[in-house]
Amino acid sequence: MSAQGLSSTLDVMWRNRVFYLFVAPFAVITILFGIWPILLSIQVSFTASATALRATPTWVGFANYVTVFSDPIFAASLTRTLIYTALSVVANLAFALALAVLLDSTLLKRGNMFFRVALFLPVVTPDVAGYVVWRWLFDRSFGAVNAALELAGLPAFGGLSSPATATGAILVAELWHHAGFYMLIFLANLAIRDRALEEAAAIDGASAWQTWWLVILPQLKPALLINTVYATIQFLKTFTVVVVMTKGGPSDQTNFVSYYAYQLFDQGRYGEATAMATVLFAIVIVLSLTALAIGDRKSEK
Amino acid sequence: MISPRRTLLTIIAYGAASIVAFAFLYPYWWMLVGAFRRTRDVLSNPLRPFPEQIDFGVFSEIARIGGVDLWVYVVNSLMITTASTLLSVAVTALGAYALVRRPDLPGFKVLRAGFLLTIMYPYMLLVIPVYVVMFKLGLLGTTAGIILFLALGPIQFFLFEQFFRAIPPSVIEAALIDGANEVTILTRIVMPMAAPVVATVTLITFLLNWSQWFPILVISRSSDTYTLPVALLSMNTELGSNFQGIMALAVLTTLPPAILFVMAQKRVMAGMAAGAVKG
Repeated sequence: MSAQGLSSTLDVMWRNRVFYLFVAPFAVITILFGIWPILLSIQVSFTASATALRATPTWVGFANYVTVFSDPIFAASLTRTLIYTALSVVANLAFALALAVLLDSTLLKRGNMFFRVALFLPVVTPDVAGYVVWRWLFDRSFGAVNAALELAGLPAFGGLSSPATATGAILVAELWHHAGFYMLIFLANLAIRDRALEEAAAIDGASAWQTWWLVILPQLKPALLINTVYATIQFLKTFTVVVVMTKGGPSDQTNFVSYYAYQLFDQGRYGEATAMATVLFAIVIVLSLTALAIGDRKSEK
Repeated sequence: MISPRRTLLTIIAYGAASIVAFAFLYPYWWMLVGAFRRTRDVLSNPLRPFPEQIDFGVFSEIARIGGVDLWVYVVNSLMITTASTLLSVAVTALGAYALVRRPDLPGFKVLRAGFLLTIMYPYMLLVIPVYVVMFKLGLLGTTAGIILFLALGPIQFFLFEQFFRAIPPSVIEAALIDGANEVTILTRIVMPMAAPVVATVTLITFLLNWSQWFPILVISRSSDTYTLPVALLSMNTELGSNFQGIMALAVLTTLPPAILFVMAQKRVMAGMAAGAVKG
């Protein structure tokens, strides 16, 4: 930039200093507690763990990334994270959509708000508290889940102690915590749909099923898109439920990437932990930008 | 005329909604009952729908957790949540307003992009760098550090951004022609209009920040700065768990946001939906 360009930029900034004053606290907090830590994290991922926090760390290039990608536990952890994310996104969205359609229907006039509040309450319940309660609900000797199954004459549920069922158990607990939010987005979308189209379909003799698939569902694309992005990011980052309920076990079955990286950090393996964090960050950014691009193209049409 | 088919469908709809609502609310009831039941009673019958006795003795049992008085956690929770909420509302409102009014100013686009990137970062992996940053700033182990870190959030920003974008430019242009300066425009025209969105953001931020635990755990140096969720987590992790005590602490952690939400249900749900469906 030429000296003249710089001085005219500074002039513009000075004349609008009141806006810089307004934005200053926001900018300071964003930089200090957002951008700086992220840059620091990326920097640490290129240094040797033992020296990472010193003033003059040893630079090791991509060595930490190589270590991470050749680590079989990381590969297994990443695979499990992706599978868990896919299962959770589908389960949450299907469940939330079914509930939204149910609550939106004219059949449920009375008490509609009660049902909405009941299903949304877990969203604003501290996740630690919710998962602590679920941990005990699934407990083999204390828990209500197995006691109820026994009462109904059904086989016992392994819950968190069995590798075969632990993933399912935390999926249920997370569904309880998150589904109400996705339901809310679907309900908001259903509320603004064009009802005249359904009347027209009814006049044309469409069945309820045809109306749902061909008239209502296509109008829910915005909510489906938003929910898919949110849920994908949400479940890729799954962490609290693992800390509270399983600690990554049994036999690493719920040792998802966030938790694994956190464990490495706990062991002082900063370089590898931040390398993993950077990989996960990159995945999340690519997903978000892809979704945004799809959304933009849709709205331009 | 109500057809028999419609009656049947209504019964099915209410049946399904009731089953799901029961499943969603049961954990709260079980937690509440568990707070009053002795551990051995729960072991013999986990499903008992009412406690054997109503006895608040458990709260004297958990009066001290991890060497810190229970009331300290309660005060920390209230103080940290309230302070970070007020800070968040003030800082985000001002910031979003400036960014919406003058996106053309040098640095403003970069700042917005930087903020959006920040909220995409998996925050549980920010531990190491945030720890280092807090250390460098001398904020490690302080409530000030915790409050500052909790002041930023995507929903707050998107709600304010959306609101300010919807203000017709003519309103502000008219004020400028009348000779009003920017501070007057903000305090006399924009903020009074923004009162409802400020109320919504305050409520939602309070609920979200009350639930926070990880940044608080990381920035804390001892349990003196823990809030209720962090205390609950550390109690849950201890060996030889005291079931009744854990349930009682979970009730204390859950009750304030639950009451707040039930009182302001419509505003909270509308705000959360709007904040997520940003432009």
